[in-house]
Amino acid sequence: MVVDLDGREVAVFRVDGEFLALANYCVHQGGPVCEGRLSGTLAEAPDGTLSYDHEGGVVACPWHGWEFDVRTGEALADPNYRQPTYDVVVEAGAVYVEA
Amino acid sequence: MSDSQQVRAVADVDRVVDCDAHVTEHQSDLLPYLEGPMASALRTDVDDSYGYISSFYPSAGFLTPVNTGKADATSVKTPADVREGMDLLDTDTVVLTPTQNLYLGCVQHPELAAALGRAYNAWLLDTLVDPSAGRYGACVVAPQRPAEAAAEIDDRADEPGVCAVFLPSGGVNPPLGKRQYDPIYEAAERAGLPVMMHNAAGTMLLSFPNLFQGFDRYLSSHAPVHAMQHMTHLSSMLTTGVPERFDVDFVVQEAGIGWVPYFERRFDHEYRAKREDAPILEKLPSEYLRDQFYFTSQPVEGTGDPDYVASMVELMGPDRLLFSSDYPHLDFDHSAELFRAVRSRLGPDAARGVYGETATAVFDL
Repeated sequence: MVVDLDGREVAVFRVDGEFLALANYCVHQGGPVCEGRLSGTLAEAPDGTLSYDHEGGVVACPWHGWEFDVRTGEALADPNYRQPTYDVVVEAGAVYVEA
Repeated sequence: MSDSQQVRAVADVDRVVDCDAHVTEHQSDLLPYLEGPMASALRTDVDDSYGYISSFYPSAGFLTPVNTGKADATSVKTPADVREGMDLLDTDTVVLTPTQNLYLGCVQHPELAAALGRAYNAWLLDTLVDPSAGRYGACVVAPQRPAEAAAEIDDRADEPGVCAVFLPSGGVNPPLGKRQYDPIYEAAERAGLPVMMHNAAGTMLLSFPNLFQGFDRYLSSHAPVHAMQHMTHLSSMLTTGVPERFDVDFVVQEAGIGWVPYFERRFDHEYRAKREDAPILEKLPSEYLRDQFYFTSQPVEGTGDPDYVASMVELMGPDRLLFSSDYPHLDFDHSAELFRAVRSRLGPDAARGVYGETATAVFDL
């Protein structure tokens, strides 16, 4: 879900029971990155065999398809690009994002 | 050479290496060196004036300055011929490359293509290659038969003066990233030899974009196709991870310089959004290009504007640029052509690198 934190849009994901928070403003060109598909990504072995890795751990910005690791915020293709991440705390059944 | 030593002219570089010095092999050169069934199948009782072997190599039927007599068609078939070119261009070392066999990748008969490549290498080694005289050679292989090409590399790698594998890349279809070509790269890796890629404008009409069938003049074809074909192959090779999977250097030839900074930036730009098409890559495409790909200089465009030339060389990185002449082909560059811009704008270290030091390292001369 996407929440507004003092004017900043932050998306909160629940992946394998873990809560994660990323800025919703794409570092590429400002697209709504966290409204894109939450998925995995293809990997290729040296012999050309394809596999699908990181299921549920990759979010793709719907504007250009840039893929980001939802845990670290790093762009898979180029870690020089990184979505800001936020710490998440769960207390007494409530989810808090530390902005 | 110490850094303090002056480099005012090409001659001040200790060893000037020309990385694309063509020989002009003809039928009479190749026939005696054919082996196997093709040696028996082809007739040898005709003189060279007919030259039927040239009909095996597709060409495009253009009017060129050579066949109109506006440019010389200099013959380079003997050590003295090579020396004449080296003296003209002030070079000390040459990497000899073919002319007719630039078209080898488009010979339709695969066994014939392999036999022609092997005959060329035998002739070149027997006649022209002599490291003590500065004459090195590139081992030509036919991409139509990757297994035989690999065997040819294995056979030639230890011959004195063999410093590269030569892949006649023009018109080769499918593109060179396909896994069917892996035996060639494996053999090059095994041999520790760089793979030279060289197109020929006439070959590409056969299989490069059908749009090119609309070209009816030499100018319109020759201006774009060298860079375009390189971009096609490099796109294929980067996408399938050839430089990730093979510890091989590549020397990309005869397309000038400005397209290199363009292409690597363009490819990175596309890759960031389409990484799943190249999941085998572990770093940016441009980083592979910077680590494993070198580019020869001729024909340098824009030399009337030294700022342009220096900017392009800086943007691609002067340590990846290798001087080449293309002599005696009609659009060859004199060794002085690129020198002024590089020396005046980028300094003596860059000049030494472009004009010989980098090539000495790449080819292990």
